[in-house]
Amino acid sequence: MSILWAISHWLYETPFAVGIRESDWAFSMIETVHVLGLGLMAGTIAIVDFRLLGLVFRRQPVSRVLAQVLPATWIGFVVMAVSGGLLFVASAEKLLHWVFGAKVALLALAGLNPLIFHTTVYRHVEGWDLEAEVPLQARIAAVTSLVLWSAIIVLGRAVAYVE
Amino acid sequence: MKMTSIALTLAIALTGAAPALAHHSFAAQYDANKPVRLVGKLSKLEWTNPHSYFYLEVTGKDGKVTTWGCEGANPGALSRRGFKKGDLKLGDVLTVDGYLAKSGARLIDARRITLTGGRTIFGGSAGDGGPGDTAAGG
Repeated sequence: MSILWAISHWLYETPFAVGIRESDWAFSMIETVHVLGLGLMAGTIAIVDFRLLGLVFRRQPVSRVLAQVLPATWIGFVVMAVSGGLLFVASAEKLLHWVFGAKVALLALAGLNPLIFHTTVYRHVEGWDLEAEVPLQARIAAVTSLVLWSAIIVLGRAVAYVE
Repeated sequence: MKMTSIALTLAIALTGAAPALAHHSFAAQYDANKPVRLVGKLSKLEWTNPHSYFYLEVTGKDGKVTTWGCEGANPGALSRRGFKKGDLKLGDVLTVDGYLAKSGARLIDARRITLTGGRTIFGGSAGDGGPGDTAAGG
């Protein structure tokens, strides 16, 4: 805790962090960009999840749906991560609470989930690419993804209400 | 995967409580039925997003000095009202009219800040739904 506190305090006091924090416009602009990036990322991920659950594009191969949205997902991820990093730096020492901790933990899980998906069930996608009903493991990954991203967004908003 | 390991380290290490970073409506934290006026010396100034904080050393009736936090609008909103960070310096005596926090903490929502020279500024966040809020948005 004390090392974490020291690091976040140091970050918090850098001129760069102070500049963002005390700005008239930059902070709110970065917040806005963060939400746009997150919308692009979580939105395109949801399209893939919905396809895996057989809710949309049922006649489209899973691999094609995934390939079509993936560039947008990555752009959203980069925008979200960079803006989120800036927001973190600007407020670092005030974010050492359980809500933000939980958000970061869920972000890690949300990163792990597609990693597991791609290295296991998706390796044999040619066997079920055209199925409306995909293997159970893939459907579980889709539900996990939707739940995790929803929870991350809820926790992100809840950061503002921590006492 | 560097991000993930940093994230995990952070997540595991985060256990304690810390000061709040709050961006919220008035009613989320403050009680409109508990108006208060604080007069005290400015001991710390956080000219920060998404809310600013003015810390006052207030002498109570018993002579005891306590520090109170006064939450105000963000720097952009304050500067559009003609209020700059440079208008304040530590040690200035401010009068802050506001409302007590629901939590019972020594924290108020600063609706009106009167500077040493008598100049008055609306300190609240525009559009937060608190008392005296007439703005349509932030």
